[in-house]
Amino acid sequence: MTQLNNALTLFFSLLVEAMPFLLLGVLFSSTLLLFVDERKLVASVPRNPLLAAFAGSLIGFLFPVCECGNVPVARRLIVQGAPASMSIGFLLAAPTVNPIVFWATWTAFRDQPEIVFLRVGMSLLVATIIGWVFSTQADLRPLMQPSVARAMLVRTAESESAPVDSPLLRSGTYFIGQSKQPLQLESDPLQAATLVANPTLSKPIPERLWMLVENIVQELRELGGVLIIGTAIAALVQVSVPREVILSLGQGPITSIVAMMVLACIVSICSTVDSFFALSFAATFTSGSLLAFLVFGPMIDLKNFALMWSVFRGRAIIYIFVLAAQLIFLLTLLINLYVS
Amino acid sequence: MTINSQLRTPPRSRPTKKLYWLQWLLDVATVLAWGALLLQYWLTGKINVLLHPDYVWLAYSAGFFLVALGAVMIGQRGWQMASRVRKTRSLPRPSLPPHLALFPPGWSSALLLLVALFGLQFTPKPFASQVALDRGVTETLTLTRSQPQAFRASVSPESRSLIDWIRTLNVYPEPDAYTGQKVNVKGFVIHIPDLPENYFVIARFIITCCAADAYPVGLPVKLPSGTRSDYAPDQWLQLEGEMITETVGGKRQLVIQASQLQEISVPENPYDS
Repeated sequence: MTQLNNALTLFFSLLVEAMPFLLLGVLFSSTLLLFVDERKLVASVPRNPLLAAFAGSLIGFLFPVCECGNVPVARRLIVQGAPASMSIGFLLAAPTVNPIVFWATWTAFRDQPEIVFLRVGMSLLVATIIGWVFSTQADLRPLMQPSVARAMLVRTAESESAPVDSPLLRSGTYFIGQSKQPLQLESDPLQAATLVANPTLSKPIPERLWMLVENIVQELRELGGVLIIGTAIAALVQVSVPREVILSLGQGPITSIVAMMVLACIVSICSTVDSFFALSFAATFTSGSLLAFLVFGPMIDLKNFALMWSVFRGRAIIYIFVLAAQLIFLLTLLINLYVS
Repeated sequence: MTINSQLRTPPRSRPTKKLYWLQWLLDVATVLAWGALLLQYWLTGKINVLLHPDYVWLAYSAGFFLVALGAVMIGQRGWQMASRVRKTRSLPRPSLPPHLALFPPGWSSALLLLVALFGLQFTPKPFASQVALDRGVTETLTLTRSQPQAFRASVSPESRSLIDWIRTLNVYPEPDAYTGQKVNVKGFVIHIPDLPENYFVIARFIITCCAADAYPVGLPVKLPSGTRSDYAPDQWLQLEGEMITETVGGKRQLVIQASQLQEISVPENPYDS
């Protein structure tokens, strides 16, 4: 009975602490979705692939969204002709390298500021490296889902033949603006046009405010569900798994990293609140493994697979997964062995 | 062009409309329930058991925000229905870019709503000796843990809290340096099986963020008379006495020689920071 009460106390304490940050993340990402045109960003990317990857990784500071919000943004970046290095850098780093996540991590780990800074630094490093690797692929289309690749084709054709304000580019969703049916992204080549521009920017302001509320609720609902499941897992593991097991797993420099990376992948918790999840393991797991969780989780997890699938083909996802996993494993192992 | 005709969708059927309403009701209920939950925890003080005092404002701000959001949602819908009745031109219901959801529609809201409703009934209990034993009571702050942030050497011994004692010890661990100093601390009782019968540990939890990272610290107490069974585990005590150095459990360490023990109720803010 006490165990149950402890588990529930833990569960609600994590939820109550995480909810404000989740709200803040949702609020920001909804506002950005409806009011910011990322095409201007694409125009100002540096040419050098390494710099572009780094710049892409830093865009998160302008778009404070977690991993659920950044895949659609990354998709639009790619379709609008942003270099691969920049888009991939953004895709991987933005969920971590942004002010809200920084604040949340600081709240959770203010006793161990090194975790906060290493988290940001490592995410930047890994995202930049992977972005750079992808820049060797000049034509991204073979790695993309057919619908995205076609949209890129449309875009290329447009830019060659027509001025930027061609009706196909500008209109985005206006054909489906009245539709009450969910829009299926992959089915119709013409719908790929909706990927090009941020489809909501053509709407008048009052309507956008209306949509802001709807989008906040929608994201809150989806991310909140994942948050609850993740939190329940954290609370259960803490209370039910014997301390010796956790300690033996959590104190090994290698086992702890592997365990936390697997956990990060399964739990799929939103990056604005994952530091609170990690916090519940802070006393028993090595710093390196906590970092592995905090850096790897936002880049790749089960929920993210589904989202990335809407942009990339399986091959590209596997490349990203393998590269990220290896880099993060090596970096955090170095931390475990030489720093802490 | 044929684009328009291709993408025009058929008129919405009745069941979809019903589902849409159901989802909306569920969403409003979820948002309001979470707002109510956060505000209720704040107003009843339950939040002190869950969060570090520095972060309570975040929770109740979120509560106010959610209640306001719920009100806006209801207002939006009311306005929409009113304009439909008046047959004026209402804003077309916006269609958002699609989200790629992990759950089937409705599940996520239902889960959130259930958790909030349960939370409204639930009274969190501050962690006590069982958790302390599970997590391991220490008299030193664990290596990965907080470094003393405010070290006040000038404070007179009897006004040190238990945490102040632990911090002081952390900086200068030699027990003899404190022998004879007066002690006046608050904490709860933990029975540690390894200690002799006339000893228990007086402990408190320290939190830096929320209950998830609470970890216990404590000092052994030597009773003036009787055994520790006179004091039930988890009982909160105001304890007066002085510091002595003893070898307990095979380790030479600082022990509180209690002279007065008074039972007190659980403090409003059970954790220290």
